[in-house]
Amino acid sequence: MNKFFKPIIFGWLSLALGSAAIAGTDSKQSEKILPYPIYQHRLANGLNVVTVPFDSPGLVSFHIVTRVGARNEVEPGVTGFAHFFEHMMFRGTDKYSKEEYSAALKSTGAAANANTTQDRTNYHMTGNAEKLELMFELESDRFMNLKYSEHEFKTEAGAVKGEYTKNFASPYSQINEKRAETAFTTHTYSHTTMGYFKDIVDMPNQFEYSKKFFDRYYRPEYNTILVVGDVKPEKVNALAKKYFGAWERGSYESVVPVEPEQTETRYTHLQNGSIPAYLSMSYKGPAFSDTAIDMPALDVLASIVFSDTSELAKKLVIEEQKIRFIGGGAFDSRDPNLFTIQASMVEKDDMPYVMGEIEKAIAKVKTEGVDEALLERTKSNLKYGFAMGIDNPSAIASSLSHYIQLTGDPESINRLYALYDTITVDDLKKIANKYFVPEHLTIATISEDEQGALK
Amino acid sequence: MKHLIIRIISLAFLVLGMQAQAMEVVELKQANSNKVVFKVRFANGSVSDPAGKQGLTYATASLMSQGGAGGVSYADIQDILHPWAAGYGAAVDKQVTTFTFQVPAVFVDEFYPILKNVLLAPDFTDKDFSRVMKNQQNYVDQVVRASSDEDYSKFALEHQLFRGGNMQHLRQGTSEAVKGISLEDIRSHYQNAFTRHNVSIGIAGNYNDALLETFKADMAKLSEKAFTPVTPSKANTPAGIEVEIIAKEGAFGSAIFTGAPLAITRADDEFAALMIANSWMGEHRKSYSRLYQKIRQARSMNYGDYSYIEWYSRGGSNQLPPSGVPRSSNYWSIWIRPVQIATQLKSQYEELADINIGHAHFALRMAIREFDQLIKDGMDAEQFEATKTFLRSYTKLYAQSPAQQLGWLMDSGFYGRKDYLAELDTLLENVTLEQVNAAIRKHWQTENMYITIVTDVSEAKPLADALINNTPSPMSYSNLVKSGLSADVLAEDEAVANYKLNVKKVSIVDSADTFY
Repeated sequence: MNKFFKPIIFGWLSLALGSAAIAGTDSKQSEKILPYPIYQHRLANGLNVVTVPFDSPGLVSFHIVTRVGARNEVEPGVTGFAHFFEHMMFRGTDKYSKEEYSAALKSTGAAANANTTQDRTNYHMTGNAEKLELMFELESDRFMNLKYSEHEFKTEAGAVKGEYTKNFASPYSQINEKRAETAFTTHTYSHTTMGYFKDIVDMPNQFEYSKKFFDRYYRPEYNTILVVGDVKPEKVNALAKKYFGAWERGSYESVVPVEPEQTETRYTHLQNGSIPAYLSMSYKGPAFSDTAIDMPALDVLASIVFSDTSELAKKLVIEEQKIRFIGGGAFDSRDPNLFTIQASMVEKDDMPYVMGEIEKAIAKVKTEGVDEALLERTKSNLKYGFAMGIDNPSAIASSLSHYIQLTGDPESINRLYALYDTITVDDLKKIANKYFVPEHLTIATISEDEQGALK
Repeated sequence: MKHLIIRIISLAFLVLGMQAQAMEVVELKQANSNKVVFKVRFANGSVSDPAGKQGLTYATASLMSQGGAGGVSYADIQDILHPWAAGYGAAVDKQVTTFTFQVPAVFVDEFYPILKNVLLAPDFTDKDFSRVMKNQQNYVDQVVRASSDEDYSKFALEHQLFRGGNMQHLRQGTSEAVKGISLEDIRSHYQNAFTRHNVSIGIAGNYNDALLETFKADMAKLSEKAFTPVTPSKANTPAGIEVEIIAKEGAFGSAIFTGAPLAITRADDEFAALMIANSWMGEHRKSYSRLYQKIRQARSMNYGDYSYIEWYSRGGSNQLPPSGVPRSSNYWSIWIRPVQIATQLKSQYEELADINIGHAHFALRMAIREFDQLIKDGMDAEQFEATKTFLRSYTKLYAQSPAQQLGWLMDSGFYGRKDYLAELDTLLENVTLEQVNAAIRKHWQTENMYITIVTDVSEAKPLADALINNTPSPMSYSNLVKSGLSADVLAEDEAVANYKLNVKKVSIVDSADTFY
């Protein structure tokens, strides 16, 4: 089936004093990709509260986007900690023990969960709009008053190890880990969100650090509340003030090391004959921005050159049948990250040929650009794909939370799609020349051979 | 929870009727929607694969949905759809195949001829055939064993439960059978198993009546061949507990699924009663279920532990149950996500240097003991009320988007119901604690069941010996965790470690020899 959102389109690559109204205007709403007004309201303590009313009788989706992820794991020995901490958030408070919290959560009848990425942790529940106040109460209690014993902490580390264990079965998880640590030498994107296994095994010893972690990041300035569905902003804002108004601002600022410029092509290889040989080419890309043309241009370029409707896919997948699949795209993130092209081979010995064809396709964009009509069709695809996907509160909230993690502002979604509309063939040529250079390339391969075939 | 109104579907828009030609048609008109969703479902599924041609239904549906149609190549079709962001795909389960098409409402008239051609005039070219079959062959030869040990153990459990019957094989078929599928087989199966006699259709969103009439008339032009419904084989009941341990090189943990036949489905009102018990015991991905709290939360042995009373598709990624996988041949199951193996634990903790098996045996004992206690004691009133309240809200979240709403309505028809989710709410409202506890006793037992474990080669033999001999399996905690455990947990561990399972047969299967 067709894919709808950018976060989903590129999801396969990774694995999201006094209060003042910030936005929430209907002006030019019809020109925005999101056809619903976004109401934003900042509490005195800095907590941003976002409401998007949507016609879903009786149903709301409630998210808290905590802008902390693997990116913030700057100290040695604590890779995977943001994700681990997400687990700890279900371990109770003085008011609600973990058993009472579970029972109260069950009583909401909601679909509730959380997940962590490189840049953020997202806590979400979708359910009965009449239970919204209970949702606020439960969330504010744990976000402000989380409390767990050292034993609880040590015990939960085993669940994270279990999560790593289930993921490790996939060779693709293993190559993701190798690719990250090869492409990045300094920035924290060098480790995956799960973290290094040695750090996961050591997690039970990090109880003191966990308290520091909570104190740093579970603060209003790192968080955004987002409610989508059958609700009015006045109600959401009032609940936010009631339950989160007393939350104290923090002072910690996370300093993430800057990745030095890469100067030559890097290689990594996984010897594994249990799946078809696999090739990935990752170029250093930009950080997400809703004002610069770079990221939107790369998104459009990815669709034109590497999607399943691309000339490359028609040639290599459908006609020559040298590969089973090709895809490519830039990873949206707060700091510069990778643009990765992936291909699953039919025969491993064709890998050099396939890489050559990918390089030829890139070279063609650099010199000739792309067909103007194809560019317009691709813009149309992005627009209609998004419009069809936002058919329920949960989908809308997931999409908005993606942009909140990146910039802190859900309006980024409207600005991004407005930028898509402005992209020219010349933009694509420039962007291809800027980013697709061999000095910034990391090649990761999987095959039954001891050594990768491309070095 | 009467105010939770995802039931808009059933109140305002639903028209469900049997057409003159006996083709079931589900209509879900939503004037505010910006798109149209079509579903075309055939009552065939992999159980309708002819003998020796396991995987043929999957191959046929794949070639229809990933090949040229009406003389237009697959690549050209994709080019046409691209600016609209329209798309379609086919999903093959054991008893049904469902094609789903989605398009912005403004392009539906231009899109419709493609839908029509995909279903009525697939090209079935040699070139498309070659591509699609390479992928299917690769799936059965490699991917199923290599991508997720959890899914591997789940599919392998079905292979045990249904051994000898038409429900046994993977939907994608067996390695040998897929090699033998020809393009002629596909052409013939298309005529025999994708017919006007076994099709149901559905449409949701912003469409007009003329389009619906055209859709109905066109689907009545599918193959006229008589389709003889295939009866799905029933799950076997073993004498005692039978375990298959799949030994795999380089496995990092032990992935476990266990199950036994279940006589009821959504067609039976009693299913709602068992659903309450199952939700309390092991609701999918929920921290407030019993198995999760015992195995993951108190002991952190793995990432999660759940139970099921029907097939749950792609449990690793789905948080809510998807539509499109209705089955009349049923079983219940327990999913224990990968637990640690001995070699891993030894390498992590000095104090565990002397262990010879990891946590699989203990986890299995704990899960089965929990079921035994529930069968013996039943649920209490408080557990019952809390779970009933939860489910009456939670099940309304199953169908949030138009495509999901349409899917659940079409599944309703499979079970002889009109709007299962609405009917389920009434059943849940009216069910009593006594009925739930009676259903537990009637339908669940742990004396005779199948267990499948995908684990590392190093773990297979010691684990097999421990299981067949009912050797005590004390929980091997690291000192870090052990020092803080409560007396209650330790006492329970002692009971679990010595809990007798009715294991009668344990076999070790090389990973290469699975799914024959």
